[in-house]
Amino acid sequence: MGGSLLKPVILIGIVYAILKFVVPNIPGSAPLPSSLIFLYLMLTTTGIVIFATLSGESKDAFWGPIQRFLTGENIGGLQALRYAVLILFPLLVGWQTYGNTATSDAPPAENRTIHPAPPGEYTGLSNPVAKTPESIMQGKGFYAAFCSPCHGNFDGKGPAARGFSPPPANFSDPTTIAMLQESYLFWRIKKGGVGLPIEGMPWKSAMPRWEVELPDEWIWKIILGEYDGAHQSPRTWE
Amino acid sequence: MAQESVAVRAPMVKGALPVDDPNAAVWSNATPATFPMSPQVHWPNRIQEVTVKDLSVRALHDGTQVAVLLEYADPTEDPDDAAALEFMVGDKKAHFAHGQPMAQVEGGPVNIWYWKNKDNKGVDMNAKGFGTLKVQTHQDVKAKGAYANGTWKVVFSRPLATEHADEDTQITPGGFINIAFAVWDGKKDATSGDLREKGSQKAVSSWWYFRAEAPPDYSGYYYAAIAVAVAFGFQFVLIRKLKKGQPA
Repeated sequence: MGGSLLKPVILIGIVYAILKFVVPNIPGSAPLPSSLIFLYLMLTTTGIVIFATLSGESKDAFWGPIQRFLTGENIGGLQALRYAVLILFPLLVGWQTYGNTATSDAPPAENRTIHPAPPGEYTGLSNPVAKTPESIMQGKGFYAAFCSPCHGNFDGKGPAARGFSPPPANFSDPTTIAMLQESYLFWRIKKGGVGLPIEGMPWKSAMPRWEVELPDEWIWKIILGEYDGAHQSPRTWE
Repeated sequence: MAQESVAVRAPMVKGALPVDDPNAAVWSNATPATFPMSPQVHWPNRIQEVTVKDLSVRALHDGTQVAVLLEYADPTEDPDDAAALEFMVGDKKAHFAHGQPMAQVEGGPVNIWYWKNKDNKGVDMNAKGFGTLKVQTHQDVKAKGAYANGTWKVVFSRPLATEHADEDTQITPGGFINIAFAVWDGKKDATSGDLREKGSQKAVSSWWYFRAEAPPDYSGYYYAAIAVAVAFGFQFVLIRKLKKGQPA
């Protein structure tokens, strides 16, 4: 076994280590899926084989040790390694095949979009109610009466929340109302869970359709009270 | 309570299903799934507080029938104590609150299997939105409840498949379907004498999954065995070729 085989093995090892451990730690990056790492390693291997077989000389230097390892005699301790490879390779192929063909026991995956796009008529509306201490206080009163049973103290943990999946939104979480405009909240409160488009899985949401029970003005006041109570500000256009 | 579950899994058992016996030993074949309950607040009339907070569910099937056992704590036995299972019907999604109409999605009906203590039998119903509940003309659901030590145990049963696919949920072993639950505590208010939980004022769950387990599928092992054989064959051919081509 010459050094000519050692270099490619080390190279593949380094590429794997970079993809697995270095890339995910680059700021703004994320762990790579194993299928992508596998693809990169296949490309690297292909490159090595092309490079090694460019000339007749390098081809012999590359294939020679492999051929000796697989078929040569008197290779000493490598004999055991040869049998290990010859047994492990088919088992690995079998294991991969099983993983790809065995029937899954898991319930269907659900990709629910949490903030789907609102209908056109609910984009860019501005709150017609002036943001005064009185209207905020009124809004908080309505919130306590209609919203808090599920949304609780703006934390999504009201006494009626526990059985619902998806859970009621937590308004203190910066990824909920702080990311949304007031007109989006107006749509969600008015039309409720049943108003969601298909990607929002409307059949699972317990959010009431408040348009049948509350006047628009109350809804706009609830929005003022909600942002104030959750210590968040609505997203604006700039 | 135990950790929340996502799915009720009904293993296949041999012999008769315990459709009349919530305490039969055969129930131990099924792993209980636990689901949290909420007061129904989606639509008026709402309720803010309900008695039953969690539900334990087991299920079994025998290839032709399915039996579902609900278990929940209720401090008092009342004639109006009641429980129900809900399923989607057909391919269309249905809102968990009685198949309420949805604005942007065309929803389907729900199939409701209902039991009430004073009748102690199953009622097979359909709804497509609140206020549309109706009893089917063909009753396929059986139910039986037993109360002991502050706990209700209620068994619902039905054939896996029926002849009314437009009204009844159809259960195919191996496939996941949606299931939801409702419970009414039939206790009367001490002062007014009215039922506290009735109609839409009940404890409800979200949609969860239900599966009647299919007979074991070994095809993954067959494919793996074929792959191993092919890989061995490839190695055998490769080494023979290499040996032949080897300089002496």
